[in-house]
Amino acid sequence: MTTDLRDQFDRAVGDDPGAALDELADAAIVEGGRLRRRRRRVAAGAAAGVVAVLGAVAGLALSAEGPGADPDVTLAAAVQPVTAPSCVRQPVEIGATDAVVVLAAGATPAQRTALDAALRDDPRVGAHLFESREQAYERFRARYADNPDLVAAVGADRFPEAFRVRLDAADRYPEFRSRIAAAPGVAQVIGRRCAPDAPVGGVL
Amino acid sequence: MTEARTAPPAATPPADAPAPAADPPSGGRGAARPRAKAARDAEFTAFVRSDGTRLRRSAYLMCRDWHLAQDLAQHTLARMYAVWDRIREETNLRAYSRRVLMNAVFDQQRRCRGAEVVLADVPDRPDPAPGTPELRLALVDALARLPVEDRAVLVLRHAEDHSVDAVAAILGVSVPAVKMRSARALSRLRALLGEDFPDR
Repeated sequence: MTTDLRDQFDRAVGDDPGAALDELADAAIVEGGRLRRRRRRVAAGAAAGVVAVLGAVAGLALSAEGPGADPDVTLAAAVQPVTAPSCVRQPVEIGATDAVVVLAAGATPAQRTALDAALRDDPRVGAHLFESREQAYERFRARYADNPDLVAAVGADRFPEAFRVRLDAADRYPEFRSRIAAAPGVAQVIGRRCAPDAPVGGVL
Repeated sequence: MTEARTAPPAATPPADAPAPAADPPSGGRGAARPRAKAARDAEFTAFVRSDGTRLRRSAYLMCRDWHLAQDLAQHTLARMYAVWDRIREETNLRAYSRRVLMNAVFDQQRRCRGAEVVLADVPDRPDPAPGTPELRLALVDALARLPVEDRAVLVLRHAEDHSVDAVAAILGVSVPAVKMRSARALSRLRALLGEDFPDR
């Protein structure tokens, strides 16, 4: 199968108009150099300040993310929930005590309801609560009250809906995750390892 | 504002740090002397030459638009360049670049989805009888009809030949989830493409 499939994919890009790779590299160097400088400024600000936004795109993606990466990416990081202080900052794949189930942008109300029921009936789940787009937005506004430019740049539509989940047994997180991640309407599941006093979901 | 990386939290330089520190916290390495920059640029350009085409093509498979693919590839590469000193030692720059790319695609879903809507609205072909495989969609058109996460799995797994484990790591999902999405997406592709699609 794989070979045939590879052929199909290769043919699918057969109309590639082509691009000069050196020009691509040069353009990336110019754009990347800008990101670099902006990131340094932002990093300096963060040191003076405060929170670490744990941009948890795809769980581990964040090694790539810096704030100030570019306007869009900056916002993408800023709209991520912030890891609670009593949790390990890096999301974990195993041994998570808490999880955020992020819904896809196009998730339907029916999918949300089904998910809510699935979480309620899941014996691995100790507690769960839903965070609407508006609630996420309000939290974001409160968090960045001292950064009006950022707040002004982001609308409520940037925020995903999500369920915050506390698990009863951390060792069951992987099975929980694979089940929930596969449910319709789920964009991603982000696990965190937290002390018992952390808020449900492990994020602020 | 804030720091999205989880790396060294407080070790970032103070606001009045000397400007040319090239690589934020990693111990004064590489002030941006012209020579260091030239070396970095050369190394980076070599990576782009070796992987840029594949990266662009995967972006195209995700978004079905060569212009957007070019943008996404450039954007991905720019983000890599911005942290090049930190990541250049990574054994697998290619996997790293795919992670950045897919995140960019997920962020840009609206633009990608725009393309899907257009597709769905095109009424230019007669409705095929149910169950017959003459939709004859090109593979990319069929891909555009899949959820973006499934598309990502297919592109990484089958267009790029990453292992299931590698795909799971790139996308930050579990191995079973990759297998599940891959199987689901393949069967949807088969349904869309009919007999054109190689059977397993």
